[in-house]
Amino acid sequence: MSLLHATWLPAIRTPTSSGRPALLVWADTWRVATPAGPGITPALHPFTLSPEDLRGWLTERDLLPEGIIDATACLTLPSRAVRSTKLSNLKGNGLLEVEEGGSKPAWAGLPLQAGEPIPKKSEWWPWQVQGLAVEPCSATTWLSKLPLSGKCLDLGDELRWWSHLQRWSLSIIARGRLLPQVELSKGEGYPHRARWVPLLNREDDRRRLEELAARLPLVATCALPWREPMGRRTNRMTRLRPEAMREANPVASCRPRSGRLRVANLLEELVDAQIRKNFEPKAKALDPMLSAWEEALGSDTGVLALADEEVERLAMASNHWREGVAGTVAPARACLELFTPLEEEELWELRFALQAEADPTLKLPASSAWAAGSAILQLGEIRVEHPGEVLLEGMGRALTVFPPIERGLDSPTPESMKLTPAEAFVLVRTASAQLRDVGVGVELPLSLSGGLASRLGLAIKAELSQRSRGFTLGESLDWNWELMIGGVTLTLRELERLAGKRSPLVRHKGAWIELRPNDLKNAEKFCSANQDLSLDDALRLTATEGDTLKKLPVHKFEAGPRLQGVLEQYHQQKAPDPLPAPEGFIGQLRPYQERGLGWLAFLHRFDQGACLADDMGLGKTIQLLAFLQHLKVENELKRATLLVAPTSILTNWKREALIFTPELNVYEHYGSRRPSTTSDLQKALKGVDLVLTSYGLLQRDSELLETIDWQGVVIDEAQAIKNPSAKQSQAAREMAMSTKSNRFRIALTGTPVENRVSELWALMDFLNPRVLGEEDFFRQRYRMPIERYGDMSSLKDLKARVSPFILRRLKTDKAIISDLPEKVELSEWVGLSQEQSSLYKKTVEDTLDAIACSPRGQRHGKVLGLLTRLKQICNHPALALKQGDIDESFISRSAKLQRLEEILEEVIDAGDRALLFTQFAEWGHLLQSYLQKRWRFEVPFLHGSTTKKERQALVDRFQEDPRGPQIFLLSLKAGGVGLNLTRASHVFHVDRWWNPAVENQATDRAYRIGQDKRVMVHKFITSGSVEEKIDQMIREKSRLAEDIIGSGEDWLGGLGVDQLRELVSLDDS
Amino acid sequence: MTSQQNNNNVEITTALGEEGLGQQPWWVEQWMELINSYRFKKRLERAWTYAREGNVTSIRFEGRRVHARVQGTGEDPYKVKLWLDVLNDEDWGYVLEALTQRARWSAQLLAGIMPADIERAFAASGRRLFPFKLQEVRSECSCPDKANPCKHISAIYFLMGDRFSEDPFVLFQLRGRSRSKLLADLAEQRRVVLAGLADSLNEKINISEQPSFSVKSAVAPHPAVLDPSLWWRYEANLDADLVVITPALEGETGLDIAGELPLAEEPRFPEAKQNFLSHLRDQSQKLAQQAMIQAMAAGE
Repeated sequence: MSLLHATWLPAIRTPTSSGRPALLVWADTWRVATPAGPGITPALHPFTLSPEDLRGWLTERDLLPEGIIDATACLTLPSRAVRSTKLSNLKGNGLLEVEEGGSKPAWAGLPLQAGEPIPKKSEWWPWQVQGLAVEPCSATTWLSKLPLSGKCLDLGDELRWWSHLQRWSLSIIARGRLLPQVELSKGEGYPHRARWVPLLNREDDRRRLEELAARLPLVATCALPWREPMGRRTNRMTRLRPEAMREANPVASCRPRSGRLRVANLLEELVDAQIRKNFEPKAKALDPMLSAWEEALGSDTGVLALADEEVERLAMASNHWREGVAGTVAPARACLELFTPLEEEELWELRFALQAEADPTLKLPASSAWAAGSAILQLGEIRVEHPGEVLLEGMGRALTVFPPIERGLDSPTPESMKLTPAEAFVLVRTASAQLRDVGVGVELPLSLSGGLASRLGLAIKAELSQRSRGFTLGESLDWNWELMIGGVTLTLRELERLAGKRSPLVRHKGAWIELRPNDLKNAEKFCSANQDLSLDDALRLTATEGDTLKKLPVHKFEAGPRLQGVLEQYHQQKAPDPLPAPEGFIGQLRPYQERGLGWLAFLHRFDQGACLADDMGLGKTIQLLAFLQHLKVENELKRATLLVAPTSILTNWKREALIFTPELNVYEHYGSRRPSTTSDLQKALKGVDLVLTSYGLLQRDSELLETIDWQGVVIDEAQAIKNPSAKQSQAAREMAMSTKSNRFRIALTGTPVENRVSELWALMDFLNPRVLGEEDFFRQRYRMPIERYGDMSSLKDLKARVSPFILRRLKTDKAIISDLPEKVELSEWVGLSQEQSSLYKKTVEDTLDAIACSPRGQRHGKVLGLLTRLKQICNHPALALKQGDIDESFISRSAKLQRLEEILEEVIDAGDRALLFTQFAEWGHLLQSYLQKRWRFEVPFLHGSTTKKERQALVDRFQEDPRGPQIFLLSLKAGGVGLNLTRASHVFHVDRWWNPAVENQATDRAYRIGQDKRVMVHKFITSGSVEEKIDQMIREKSRLAEDIIGSGEDWLGGLGVDQLRELVSLDDS
Repeated sequence: MTSQQNNNNVEITTALGEEGLGQQPWWVEQWMELINSYRFKKRLERAWTYAREGNVTSIRFEGRRVHARVQGTGEDPYKVKLWLDVLNDEDWGYVLEALTQRARWSAQLLAGIMPADIERAFAASGRRLFPFKLQEVRSECSCPDKANPCKHISAIYFLMGDRFSEDPFVLFQLRGRSRSKLLADLAEQRRVVLAGLADSLNEKINISEQPSFSVKSAVAPHPAVLDPSLWWRYEANLDADLVVITPALEGETGLDIAGELPLAEEPRFPEAKQNFLSHLRDQSQKLAQQAMIQAMAAGE
């Protein structure tokens, strides 16, 4: 897969060129390349897509910018050196000459690609990169279309940086934070220009500049001033010697300081380009000078057609105009620090300091700035040139909004001054914001520094009441409260006394606090209300910061030990208390599974729906079965529980319930003979604990199923209800509600639900309908801000709301790793489709008769033929019938394929990689076409007729390409040995070769030295078929099984007809 | 308005808009006071007409002199030169020393503001920044008129006031120091003062031992040198304040805050600057609307 990049090409001004900047859009892709080094010109980047391919690809993605031309630029990229003796032969071909007297070979290597493992030693070299140059205005339109959040596999990270920068430029324009300016010619032959310049004086914009500069992915600005050499003009970059190259190494000039200026310049380019396009110069009655300026502000090139002296005058005036609003972009700013008066004193102290823009906690007192003189001042890592001037300029600006400062600037090198209480109040209340807006930092004492903490609020202490067990939401707590402001508590009487002083800043318990006009009234109102605090309130108040109780913010919530225990479990601040496997549960629970069981039981007691979203392979099925068994043991399981799952895994449920919880009576509501009336169904459900059905039947039989008084409803693969308006989703939500009695609701899914905002609503509406409100509200409040703009505060709030109800553990979690072996083998039980099942039966009948009649010599071959054919049918009827077409019904014809697709979907979503082994080359080809069509990406297939060279290329690409294929198909014979495919963390044995040694060998392609992840091995078993029976024999290590292991499949040929019949006939109970 | 009495009831101001002098920076007012102190009102009046009708075709500040061209009755424009007495280095030394005594003066000059009490610093040298009398403004005109100031020179007087508002540092330039030179000199002077202070404090504070700064510290390598993956990596989320893009509050656009464009008006186009600015405001409002619409459509 290719990865799209965007790099800014600064204007290269030559007398013959207009010197317009542009955005270079380019893409790199994986291919085998010969190492190269720079010669007369930088080497061609071997991985870039040609402009032609790039156009095609962008058109397909609907991302082709307007106003593009093919372009080649020189970019500095991290590169890996490749040592090769052969390279010295290439000397004549324009590679670097060997350094004088030395015998070192010329440098040759390859540029690194995003996501590629970083070599121990990387170097920075220039590469010629082909792409499309987009003129600035079209670039802004194009950048506006890019996603603002989320990772896209084929869009480089820096495109998100660009889209954030572009969004900032829109904000600058929307807020009118800009002024027109005049930019003087940069030298003879270059024109003067009119420019639109953003004003970056306000605190939020300055912070944004620091953030974007600190996080700038350097590829966005790594272009070197280089043009393809033309004619006789020699270029600075044309004859590069290694030492010169090292000097030209732009890393040296990528100090944090230049990052800030660079980003400010880029912002200016974006703002200028957008305004220029839409600005209409139409004012009437202008003098020639203003008229020319206005014209140039709206023209394409911005060239100012005026005499030098007039331009200089305009430049001077416009600059002076701008200076009145915003100063220059510097690494540090002046800062005023306010200190409260000492005991018994009246005056406040204001100290002058320098503060780093990038990190406001880095401060130095004015004395250091004065003492530094002409030297560079070091603020942590940040270098500040002319610190004294920076400080003074800021103080000059501060004077314009906070005149009392004038008093403090009467000496040559002032360090601090005193403020009267009235002045201090003005500073706290209004001037601090204004000062920040002119680019001066203000640091107030903590209790006054604004924000919620300095406002009047509550400090609450609460505990479960003595007799409570703490498990009902509505119950009242034992509690008391105090008023709190600026971190200190006070009584209503004290508040009255302080308010009586009629001074806005008062001292209380040693801290200075600011009282607001309504504070006293609000406090009195609260005190007279005399209300209860419920467990529900406590859960809400501790979920998100800044929640209020009767309009007063809660600053502090202190829970007693017993309440604390409940809160912590509820908010998942600590792992749930484990619950051991209940009696009657056959098998063992791993420690994290015991915690999962404990958690399900915990929420059950609260009557809250729960979503168990553990990673695939961690045993969600087992945990749920254990939970049901737990209810049964506790005598709480009175009625049947309905479990809805995709058809393809109903078999799996049945099998596992049989193995782990044989005491549970399981009933399958499925198939054509299922009951169709309430009384029939009720009869069938007598004594039944768990009813299995599919999503399809849930919808079709909803009226019937709703007549049953279920104890609970469980949905497996809960992503099936992600679309709130889909029928099956509505049916599931209706089933969860009950008018008669409480139904417990549990959802199981392996997908990261909490990150899929759009799917959360339907899920929560199933689990706990009130938590996220109505769908419309949810869309406005959460979905739009989060999905479109990646709004973190909304996301945080949403997560806080839903997190008590979602438990998700990953295979990679530390607590899990210790519980889990490095290789996890999973049996994937699947059934057969109607077509598969009848084809299977017919084949068995026909062939067994034929075998019985055939002479001994031919029998062996016929038996093996039958087994092969049955295995093929279990895979897919098309394979057995030798049909090559992939049509609409392809997926529905094979239950195994359906299940495979479901699991692969999770694998792909998680960004993992998988190996798929099959013993049938034809099946490999069919699967390849099907999967490629299904996911629209390439799925390589390595099989017997793959050439040696192709094999290596496939393997290299799978292992090395940062955006390489996620699924790799291999035939068991060709791919089962020798290869190193450690990038995969899932191995699928789609069909079985009944020799564990062979399967293990294949598994070891991924599970071997170099593997740093846990490997999940999925073995498909078609239940009731020959696959299951042989699997069982192997498990039980019967004598037969030993034969199997010894001799591959040959032994099967020697079976008698009866034995054979028992082995192959379909057991569809 | 100047407090200058006006004998002939001729309203002479350089503020060509309707706002009058109230909007002008103080140093422009001071200049106007100077002109209005001139005795020959009739000549001033004629010069004012001259200026207003656009006879002055150019004014250039070149180094310490003002060069101008005024279209008179002749075919070619007359060349006018104006200059002030330049302060010598010794005088500037006193001025700089005085300026460094108050940090505020440097602070304001660095922020592009002309301190209202700047003359107090110049008083230290016994000199002035502003000419005290019109006679201190030296001039030359290529016209045949023997009188100085002739009406051409007087016409320049009028227009100069406005030109001062474009760049307050022009006055320093006329007195012999450009802005950059002045600021550099000030920085140097501050260092001298500091060194003096340090000496007088003796070993009380040993500046060179303070660890917080260094004369030449090694530049730390960029983080990307150690981690080349920074070349591509960007994991930040969109700034919460950029999720919803909002317009400026009333009076908070850059144009609102920057206020009057400090550009002397061309007398023949008395409304030009106002038209220019109001058109900028209209346009920037329209552009703001468009930007918000575009921002709302993002990600669709």
